[in-house]
Formats: sequence, C-alpha cells, structure tokens
Amino acid sequence: MRNFDDDPTLAELLPPQRQQDLLQLLQSLTGKPFVLSEQLRGDAERVEFNLDGVGWLSCAADARLQAPAARLVEFILTYVGKYRLAANLHHDIAEASFAELQRQHAALQESETRYRQLSEQLQVQVAAQVKVIEQTQQELYESARLRAIGQLAAGVAHEINNPIGFISSNLRVAEDYISEIKEGIAGDSEFNALIEDFQALLKESASGAQRIASIVADLKTFSNIDQADFIACDLNGLLRTSCHLLQAEFNHVLNIELQLGDIEPISGYPAKLSQVFYNVLDNAAKAVEAKGKIRVNSRRSAKGQPEVVIEDNGCGIPDVSLARIFDPFFTTRPVGAGTGLGLTVARETMMAHQGEISIRSREGIGTRVTLKFG
Amino acid sequence: MPEYVPHERKLTLKVVYYGPALSGKTTNLMQLHTLLQPQRKGELMVLETRDDRTLFFDMLPIGVRSESGLELRLKLYTVPGQVQHDSTRKAVLARADGVIFVADSQLAQQDNNANAFENLADNLQKVGIDIEGLPLVVQFNKRDAPGVLEEDELQSRWADTPWSPLCMAAAINGEGVVESFRVLLDRLYPILDQEFQLAEVEGISSDAFVRQLSMVG
Repeated sequence: MRNFDDDPTLAELLPPQRQQDLLQLLQSLTGKPFVLSEQLRGDAERVEFNLDGVGWLSCAADARLQAPAARLVEFILTYVGKYRLAANLHHDIAEASFAELQRQHAALQESETRYRQLSEQLQVQVAAQVKVIEQTQQELYESARLRAIGQLAAGVAHEINNPIGFISSNLRVAEDYISEIKEGIAGDSEFNALIEDFQALLKESASGAQRIASIVADLKTFSNIDQADFIACDLNGLLRTSCHLLQAEFNHVLNIELQLGDIEPISGYPAKLSQVFYNVLDNAAKAVEAKGKIRVNSRRSAKGQPEVVIEDNGCGIPDVSLARIFDPFFTTRPVGAGTGLGLTVARETMMAHQGEISIRSREGIGTRVTLKFG
Repeated sequence: MPEYVPHERKLTLKVVYYGPALSGKTTNLMQLHTLLQPQRKGELMVLETRDDRTLFFDMLPIGVRSESGLELRLKLYTVPGQVQHDSTRKAVLARADGVIFVADSQLAQQDNNANAFENLADNLQKVGIDIEGLPLVVQFNKRDAPGVLEEDELQSRWADTPWSPLCMAAAINGEGVVESFRVLLDRLYPILDQEFQLAEVEGISSDAFVRQLSMVG
C-alpha cells in the first residue's frame, strides 16, 4: 500500500489529459510546442516536486523557454501536490480510523458476548443455588419434623410404658384371683359361665397389653434420638422392629419373609438405620399392595461385610422414575401421600455409615434394594 | 525508515517535529526555511491551517547531491499538536527516521509537555518504531518568554534520559533552531552510515553530512 507521503509520479499529480491541457496553454502563451515526459530526452529541463524529479520539459523550437516553463509547471504542481498530500493523508487517516473502529466494534461485540454468557452462567448458578437452598430448607424442615415426631413418640412411649406395666401386672394378678374365686365357688354353675367368660376377657386384655408393650418397645427403638454417638447396632434386631412397625401400620396383612443371617453388629445410629429400613420396607409394602410378598434378607457379603437385601414382587419402578429415585422430593405418589424424601434420607444415612444403597427394578416384576455396609 | 531507490540513487529521509500544541513546531520549520541554505531547498509546504493552527502538517524538503551521485533528501514534517488530531500525528509519524520534540519552556506548559511526550512514545510504539533506537532531540523552545523554567533545572531533570543534553531555543527569533537540527543530524548519521555505508561507499563523512544539510546562508 502506498503511503500518503510517498513521492508521487507525474501522472499521479496531473493526469495525462490535464498535462496535455497545460502544454496546450503553454503553446498558446509562447506559440511554441512543448513536450512533458517522465523520461529524459535531449537537453530537457527537469521538473521537480518537493525536490524529487518527476518529469522533463522540452521545447525543441526554443530551448530558452524550457526553464521558465518548467518553473511554471512546478509552481502548478506544488499546489496540485499540496491538495494530493492532504487528500491522501485524510484518506489514510479515515481508513486507519475505520479499521480502528472495526477493531473496537469487534472487541465490543466479543466482550458483550462474554458478558452475556457470564450473565447466563450467573443466572444458572443463581437458580442452582436457590434450588440448593430450597432443598436444604425442605430437608431441614423434614428432619426437624421427623425429630419432633421422634421426640413425641419417645415421650409417648415413656409415658405409656409405666401404666402398661402395671396394667399387665394387675391383669396377671387378676387372672390368679379369678382362678382362686373359681375354685372357691366350685359347683355353682350359674357363676361358672360368667367366670370363664371373665377369664377369657382378662386373657384377651393381657394379650392386648402385651401388644401395646411391644409397640412401645418398637417406638423406643425407632425414635432412638438421644444417642448422638455411634453405638453398636444389631441390624437384624432393627430389621425385626421395622417389620413389626410396618405390619402395625398395614394392619398385619403383609406377607413378609425374614431371612436373617449371622452378621456382625455395625457401628452407627440405630434410629437412623431403623428409619432407612422402614423407608425401604414402606415402599415395598406400597408396591405389593397386600397381595405380593416382601423378602428381607441379611447376610455377609463376599468381603464379610453386612448386607441387607429387601425385595418385593410388586409393581416395580419405571426406568424414567428410576433415574430420579434419589432426588429429593421426587415422588410418584399423590400429593400429601409421600414426601419424596424417603430414599433421599436412606441414601444420606447409608453414606453417613460408609455404606451404599442400590436399587434394581423391573416394571411389573418387582424391586430389589441392596444396602451394603462398609 | 529511510527510503532508498537504488536505480535512481535516491535516498529519502523523514524527520518529524513533534510536541504539544503551540510549542513552535511550525515556527521551527519556517525558521529553517529562512535560515538554511543547503545545496537544494524546496518550498515550505504549509498544508492547511485553521486560525493559524496546523490541521494536517507542514513540510520542508531539503537535499544534497553527493559527489558519488547519491541524491539525499530530507523531508522535514511538523505534526498538529492539538490533542484531537492524534490520528494525523500517528500517520505523519509513521516511518520517521528522526524526531525533534519541541517542548514549551513555560512553567504552566510542563504538563502538556509530559502528555505530548507520552503520546509520542505511545504513537511510536503503535507505528512500530523503537523509541530507544530512534534519533530523537528534545528542544525546549520559547526561552525568550517570561516565566520559563531554568535551563539548569531542565537539564538536570532530563540528565538520566538518553535524550540529554537538551537543546534550548527561541524559535521565534531563530535562536537554537539550526543548532537543534544539527544535533539531530549528528544522531541520525551513525544509523544511516551503518545501513548505507555513507562514509565508505558514498564518501560522505559525518561532518560533511551535518555541514552540508545545515548550511546557513
């Protein structure tokens, strides 16, 4: 590219047509023909622009006219050149400014794109954070609620324990008394029938009291919230309790098969592990709908670690749901029927016990939940 | 960078007068036009002005033809000093072989001097010229004006720069103008000599170079 300050050629300063016009004027003035050329011919006079020779002027008819005519041409070229220089410089500057503007424009666009991306990322991050906060809040709320329920259950259990104790004890004594009364009034057939009925009533009451005592015991295990430290947990015992509670919840209609193997106690929170078992069993119970079978199996893994498998031949879980099964608040149950937290809590509890939970399921065939302890 | 056309034996150099607005760049050039009587001197080309302020540039071509037949030309340019003409300054500064920085000696103008010098350094970098390797003369002009900084102080301020000692001038009276120009020629010669073997091939010594180009009438 030529620079504005490069020395111009004669043709650049004055186009050939204009050169001819000028020579014509010179001829009109002097009456002699002139020739202007970029090449030196004979004794032609040099024509300069800014001390740079741009051409040669010759007048064959009268060589004396060459010098003044050349000065006149130079005089004209100076002013033509001045305009050219200014125009070229202006052109150069305009181009440079335009290039600079384009560069700035590109840079601006780039930075705008970057900021837009950044703002989009930020939005996504904020949304994710909001979600995390909402989840945490919900989980906190849930855990506080569970804790409150647990505390209530523990309180109720404690309060019921004493009266049920003396009710059981009194019923036993009452049974003894009634036996003695029966012997004392032996033969009186009218009372005999009443007393036998009374004995049956007392027996039934004692059995009822026994059931209450057992539920209270389960509640105490389940809501064992006071223990902050890990203690040795008998998984089989916890499984049994959970099954009892589940049966109580489902009116003793469930077909549960317990196959409890010889496994080592593990160190952990019994209340939380009970909750895990209960949550998984509850899902199984809802899947079989009192028609199928739930099998609970505890055993040692190949490495000798405790492993609990809870399987059912219920409705199974569709693949779409399986992918989200551990997501908090993911539930397929009707509103109000499930929190969507059961398996979330189960997984977190298992992680807290260096364990893991895995689920395999086929729709219409059944579900198997494996709980491995580390 | 020097422009050399071998088949025409033409060597053209570009010297730029740079500096803050109203520091006397055009005055320097007009004085050179008046004072210098080199072998060849062209017209002082004052391109365009508004209210007597340079809009594009001024240009004075001078030249010598050596005995070896080398046609040496110097084109002396001024730039517009006003801040808004930065694109023009940059365009004129491109491919400069030497720069004379004309500063204003008046106390109130020192900030403008500093800004203009910074602008010079910036623009040199933008047009790809290394300021350290460029022949550069710093002239403090307007020594005749009242309230100027003492020369001693100026000299000591610049003592640690590659551009010391400074040139002092009162361009309006023609003082120091040719001297500053000679200092620049002095600093320009070694670079040209290295590239074009002025002394060996063309038979132009440093002394002859400076003397012939800055001959005073």
